[in-house]
Amino acid sequence: MSEDTQATEDPDGDPLVRTDVSAGLDDGSSGTASGETVVRAEDVSVWYGEEQALSDVTMSVPENSVTAIIGPSGCGKSTFLRCINRMNDRIDGASVDGDLYLRGKNVYDDDVDPVALRRRVGMVFQKPNPFPKSVYDNVAYGLNIQDVEGDHDAIVEESLKRAALWDEVEDRLDESGLELSGGQQQRLCIARAIAVDPEIILMDEPASALDPVATSQIEDLIEELAEDYTVLIVTHNMQQAARISDRTAVFLTGGELVEYDDTDTIFENPAHQRVEDYITGKFG
Amino acid sequence: MPREGFQEQLDDLREDVLFMSEVVLERLRMGLDALERKDEAQAEEVIERDDDVNRMYLELEQECIDLLALQQPVAGDLRFVAATFKILTDLERIGDLATNLGGYTLDAEREVFPEVDVQAIGTATIEMVEDAMAAYAERDAEACYAIADRDDDVDERCREASKLVVRDLIETELTGDETDPEIEALMTDVSRVLLTIRDLERVGDHAVNVAARTLYMVENDDDLLY
Repeated sequence: MSEDTQATEDPDGDPLVRTDVSAGLDDGSSGTASGETVVRAEDVSVWYGEEQALSDVTMSVPENSVTAIIGPSGCGKSTFLRCINRMNDRIDGASVDGDLYLRGKNVYDDDVDPVALRRRVGMVFQKPNPFPKSVYDNVAYGLNIQDVEGDHDAIVEESLKRAALWDEVEDRLDESGLELSGGQQQRLCIARAIAVDPEIILMDEPASALDPVATSQIEDLIEELAEDYTVLIVTHNMQQAARISDRTAVFLTGGELVEYDDTDTIFENPAHQRVEDYITGKFG
Repeated sequence: MPREGFQEQLDDLREDVLFMSEVVLERLRMGLDALERKDEAQAEEVIERDDDVNRMYLELEQECIDLLALQQPVAGDLRFVAATFKILTDLERIGDLATNLGGYTLDAEREVFPEVDVQAIGTATIEMVEDAMAAYAERDAEACYAIADRDDDVDERCREASKLVVRDLIETELTGDETDPEIEALMTDVSRVLLTIRDLERVGDHAVNVAARTLYMVENDDDLLY
């Protein structure tokens, strides 16, 4: 596992704390040198009641990259994803131990506002979940509830363009998002996520419910998004992880991060026999 | 074990490649033997049966492509298929060189340059191919390095043999009464022996290629590739 930079205090101030929700969110503070650590987990463990779902995970995620998280069912990969934007807070009986830094700020500090955190860390789920609203209102939803200033029309258009959906819906902005195809709905959800200009986009099996063409569109989109955002994607599809990610983390049973390396290394020459056995299908 | 069918396909591919290497080695031995004994019938057999090797090569190459397309192997499995894909080409080329030996046998009308020990060089290169395929079968990284080392010796012997031929040619005293066909025959003899030496040297090179791809397969190490 590669050495990573130590987490430090966020030099741009602390946009996560409750008293400073708006400050620094849209000030371009993410535009630092490529490869800089955005997310740093140190000995993160998660329990659901008595059951340990994640075990002492330590890893750093570089900015403007795609990091894939793979592993068998129940290995804790989605749990890890949900640690980053504190979605686990919503699960009864879930407890998190260890430190998880977003640009040097521990997101589990008492002064961190989960709402502010989730504005910087967007999420896209397995099943497209557009609101029963118009295409426009789906994308503008986050802008409205977070009182984002600026030209919402322009932001909606830009977000839909970045999600590679604009050409297909520019004449249908008033139609319900639920009228779109599955692949379009998922891209609408991505547009919704990026409208509030997050730094990180978490994706939990975003293409598993889509057909191959729609999957390809999502995969192309993920690669493009990585130019501006840091993407973490949980996927059961190892070939998808191989195709689109720069780094791959392999979680195995017990919530253990067994190996985390460049994706080509993981798929051509993994260091651990357990990882080799898993990705070659010798371990089910 | 999951993916049993896939694992069986990998095992079958390995077995098939080893079988192909046995065929190629047999042709190489036959070619070298035909050259030694001036056995034209055996030489013709080596040439005619090269189609067998070519057919095996295409079939096994297709097996590799099918595995890549349909099974998407990764890690050690991927390196095995990728290395095998390359090794197949080396085996096919060795088969071609064996047919060349058959051709030189048919072309040779008289014994020339008896001091050049083509058989010794040929035997050394055949052993290199045998050992390279054993390393592939046994996944023996150490043996790969040993094979590469031995190629330096073969190369040196080939250089010395070539020099011997050229020196012999230079020292050949022509009376001036030779006819054009006689001079032509001498030139043909020299070319044939030099080509024989070059082809055997290339067999050694292909053995090193097999060893290099095997080392990559076993240890993800490209140290011997160039």
